[in-house]
Amino acid sequence: MFTKKFERRIHIAAGVVLFSLVLGFAFGAYALWPANLEEGYQPEQPIEFSHATMAGKHQVDCLYCHSCAEKGRFATIPPTSTCMKCHKEIKPKNSKGELLPDMVKLYRYHESGEPILWEKVYDLADFVYFDHSRHVNEGVECMECHGDVEKMDRVQRVHSLKMGWCLECHKEPPPEGSPPWQKTRAPIYCSTCHR
Amino acid sequence: MKADEKNSGRIHPSALRGRGLPSREDSAGVGLSGPDREESSAMSRRSVLKFMAASAVLSTGFLGCTRKPPRKIVSMADQPEYSRPGIPLYYASTWTEGSVPYGIMVKTLDGRPVKVEGLPGFPLNRGATNAAMQASLLGLYDPTRLKGPKKGKASISWEKADAALVEAIRNARSTVLITRSNLGPSERAMVERFCRAAGNARHFVHETVHDGPRRSAWKKIYGPASGKGEGGELTPDLSKARVVVSLDADFLGTDGPFLEAIRHFATTRRPDPKNPDAAPLSRLYAAESDMTVTGSNADHRIPLRPSLILPLVQAIRAALEGRKGELEALAKKEDYDIEVLQALVKDLDSHRGASVVLAGPHLPESVHAAVCLLNHAIKAPGATLRWNPAPPALEVTDPSEIAAALNAGVDNLILLGVNPVHDWPGGGFEKLLARSPFSVGHGLLADETVSTCTISLPSSHNLESWNDAAPWSAFRSLCQPVIAPLHDTRQEAESLLRWTRLLEPEDGSLKECRDWHDFLRSEWKGILANEGDDFIRAWEANLRHGFAGAFYTYPFPEPNRERAEALAGASSARPGGLEAVIKPHHALHDGRFASNGWLHELPDPVSRLVWDNAAAVGPATARELGVEEGDLVTLSSGKRKIMIPVLVQPGVAPRTVVVTLGHGRTRAGRLGSKVGVNTAALLGDGGAGGTAWLLPDVKIARTGRTHRLVRTQTAFSMDDRPIVLHGTTQEFAGNRDFVKDRRHVPEKIQLHDEFDYSEGRKWAMAIDLGACVGCGACITACQAENNIPIVGKDECGLGREMHWMRIDRYHEGDEENPEVLQQPMLCQHCDNAPCENVCPVNATAHSDDGLNDQIYNRCVGTRYCANNCPYKVRRFNFYNYRKEEEGSPTLELAHNPQVTVRMRGVMEKCSFCVQRINEADFRTKRPGRHIPDGTVRPACQQACPAGAIVFGDVNDPKSRVAKLEKSPLAYLVLDELNVKPNVRYLARLRNPHPDLEHRFRKKTGHEDHDGRGEGGHR
Repeated sequence: MFTKKFERRIHIAAGVVLFSLVLGFAFGAYALWPANLEEGYQPEQPIEFSHATMAGKHQVDCLYCHSCAEKGRFATIPPTSTCMKCHKEIKPKNSKGELLPDMVKLYRYHESGEPILWEKVYDLADFVYFDHSRHVNEGVECMECHGDVEKMDRVQRVHSLKMGWCLECHKEPPPEGSPPWQKTRAPIYCSTCHR
Repeated sequence: MKADEKNSGRIHPSALRGRGLPSREDSAGVGLSGPDREESSAMSRRSVLKFMAASAVLSTGFLGCTRKPPRKIVSMADQPEYSRPGIPLYYASTWTEGSVPYGIMVKTLDGRPVKVEGLPGFPLNRGATNAAMQASLLGLYDPTRLKGPKKGKASISWEKADAALVEAIRNARSTVLITRSNLGPSERAMVERFCRAAGNARHFVHETVHDGPRRSAWKKIYGPASGKGEGGELTPDLSKARVVVSLDADFLGTDGPFLEAIRHFATTRRPDPKNPDAAPLSRLYAAESDMTVTGSNADHRIPLRPSLILPLVQAIRAALEGRKGELEALAKKEDYDIEVLQALVKDLDSHRGASVVLAGPHLPESVHAAVCLLNHAIKAPGATLRWNPAPPALEVTDPSEIAAALNAGVDNLILLGVNPVHDWPGGGFEKLLARSPFSVGHGLLADETVSTCTISLPSSHNLESWNDAAPWSAFRSLCQPVIAPLHDTRQEAESLLRWTRLLEPEDGSLKECRDWHDFLRSEWKGILANEGDDFIRAWEANLRHGFAGAFYTYPFPEPNRERAEALAGASSARPGGLEAVIKPHHALHDGRFASNGWLHELPDPVSRLVWDNAAAVGPATARELGVEEGDLVTLSSGKRKIMIPVLVQPGVAPRTVVVTLGHGRTRAGRLGSKVGVNTAALLGDGGAGGTAWLLPDVKIARTGRTHRLVRTQTAFSMDDRPIVLHGTTQEFAGNRDFVKDRRHVPEKIQLHDEFDYSEGRKWAMAIDLGACVGCGACITACQAENNIPIVGKDECGLGREMHWMRIDRYHEGDEENPEVLQQPMLCQHCDNAPCENVCPVNATAHSDDGLNDQIYNRCVGTRYCANNCPYKVRRFNFYNYRKEEEGSPTLELAHNPQVTVRMRGVMEKCSFCVQRINEADFRTKRPGRHIPDGTVRPACQQACPAGAIVFGDVNDPKSRVAKLEKSPLAYLVLDELNVKPNVRYLARLRNPHPDLEHRFRKKTGHEDHDGRGEGGHR
């Protein structure tokens, strides 16, 4: 029916297609594997600082430590001295009466003046100019993007931070009392975030 | 198998012999020979490649889709007060690098300065900046700065360097200290103390650009008979002048406090649209040798050789006294435009007390004396001229005096912040330097001078230093560091203090001063004495404020007329054959900024030349001399000789050649070395009624060689297209709508539905072409704010400069004395943007508030948008222009973190400083937010000394931009294309003398507007 040469070509094509399918499947599986998703990223931190204890149990306000969240672009990671505001006095100990190992680390950091190198959990691309203050002052709860941090012992990323996810909120209908020309909850043109 | 045998046999003979390589076409056969060939009969070379490509695509897919590498957040151990990551902090300070100190406000982010802005309340610049102030940021982060003290080539510690110097001073019979002229009051006090401690060391002041002849004339006329003291200074107050006459004075470009002059001048050039006759515009006459920024803004301009200025002044004086014959005779003899001169005299006569005559600093004493008398005749002193009893700059020592002292033998030579090896008049300072056995050079770079000295000491930058300045008598401004020294550097005054303390350990008054900062504070204790007892509080308030005192008015001293007449009557330099004028460079000044790439790439405001200097001659002179642009010629004055390319510049006076200082550095870092020609070698000795900068009888000889000069604009004609609209005040008074009449806009066709911008915010800009003088400060401000790279001469030559903003310059009329028009051109943020329609990846799109957004991370670099832009304002990153920055730990710090740093293959353009809009938006709390007018100011507007740029929300009827939009002078460039630009230009109005108005009508007349301008260029 076909010439031999053409048949050979079909075989090759089939081989290529099959090969790419297998690779594509492998790639898809890899990309969708929970550990490799942006969501759920939960790196180990230099100090096992528990938000569940601080924000959950002790009800410390987010802004007590992340003090610039309503003032500027970054929520900011608190300096060691902020921890020492309380932990100068409060020295949590285990049942044996020993200082908790992470507290020992904290005091060491404090005494040496060495900065703590935290693992970045929420890492936005460099070309995105996200501003915390805009969102916080607009009434967006921290939890809307960061999840139930007050229940997390080790912080985990709960959203992908992809543009589509941002737009989910931005595209919502505008809140009541907005001027008539405002068509969405937040602007959705490019320079809102990219410049 | 036949084929295989054949194939396997096709091994190149050379390969068998074991040398040489098989040719490319054989390689497949060689690689696949042998038993494998049997199975692979189906595998042609192409399918192998296909497989390779497929697997490459998939594997990049894998790599590309993994999570990006984890990053750290470094938290502080202890956060300093006021430091909040991502929130800018502003510090008031003073720019002390130039000859005039200006107030600056330095924006720092996360502890590093990222932008220099003008200090809003500072009387001289009122928030405006010039290009050099903007570029001082790059100077701070310059990777070629001297990073530690050196003895010869070996690094030494500061202690050792200090000890060596003090030891040398103790053993020396004579010590000479050479400094710049722009020392602050505290620095001067320090210098005095040091000189005393060093056994009466002599202090000399060296500058190649200064106004010595002018100052000395004033001193002789206004000063005490003894001639003692520093002498005062006359500065114009152009806001009060209705008629200004410039005699080779580039007061809008390089001379004196030009930021103030531009602001004052611009305020007199704004017509009241409703009532144009209410406050008539000022009128500027310029008689000049060079085509300067001032001259290009003049209503009437006469090109004339510098030696002819004195006769002209005398003739004008005579005419004002009623003797008109002199002027007519002079005009006839020198072929001047007598009508212009008559109009000038009439104007001066009728505007006594509201007019001023200014003469350039390079002109001889006799001219300044004559101008003084002329100004008194028109009652300028006290009205349009102010008296400042304490000028900001020190008197400059005559180079011959320094040379004599050094030739007499000096054991110790200390050079602070000066570079005489580069800019010594006539050259040859290295021989003088070599005469002293011990020399110390203190400078930012290991420049020509510092590297020749026995000990090279690194200076701290302006932004790392404590200092003060006194631009006006009883006015003090403070300079504070905004960052700790980046390298192991020390500011010059700090060094002087330490040396003084080492020389005089017993001096009790200095014991309390741990460092220069303490000394400065102790000096300020006297200044702030009347502010109450709490010095610390007053000091901190001043630190925050930036300055103390105000520009008080001082009574004008009585002139000594006889002496002035005698001076003015002194025989002036005879008119030579071909005269040369040596002027400071518009950006590099005397060469002190030559390591700064931003300033090299800032086009000359007149010729638009970049990365070079040249000998400018007028077209007729060029023909006469038989030279063309780019011809390398030898320019010689007596024994002094340089080789320099020719630039043909319309407007340069006949038989005059103009060169600029500042180029030709040999040790100014990687960027600034070997750029252009050092013209200091040509500077004269100023003898016989002349000055160092004026050379009579120079000779030009062709070498037969050429040098490529790069101008960022090569065509200066508008070809009758209505791009820069202009008219005269008389025309405007007669017909309010002359701008509309000047343009014929055909019926516009709308291709697609229009977006409704009538509600909400809509950003727009208005540029007043009548106010803009074309200085170019906006270009560098934009470069600093928006992380715009430097591309270099070659790329500029290919039209690839990256400036988001440029100033187009057009010439009209007579080639020898053209009428000049300039127009800042930037992205017009068109509502119907032609660039947006052609982008295949939607990388440029419109925002709801009227901005044309460019999204770098989406851009794939097709360049369709740039090709479709009628304004040619889009810039493409043809290469990675940041290679230099990536390798340098400091250059990267100069970036504004609020703007993306673009990579190769990406299109970029003006964003209306969207980062500033967003910041303002974020800081405005309520939704539906109304940002008050004036809150958002793009970098260009902020820098503009003329206030020519206005930005705002055009939908807010109260905003300035909305009001300007309705001005009868407002028009849109290329309106006929229906691209609906959002930058409105206000047509330029010239204010010719009524007697001469007909000349301008003839050129741009009403009669023929029907016949052209219908977008005929399309």
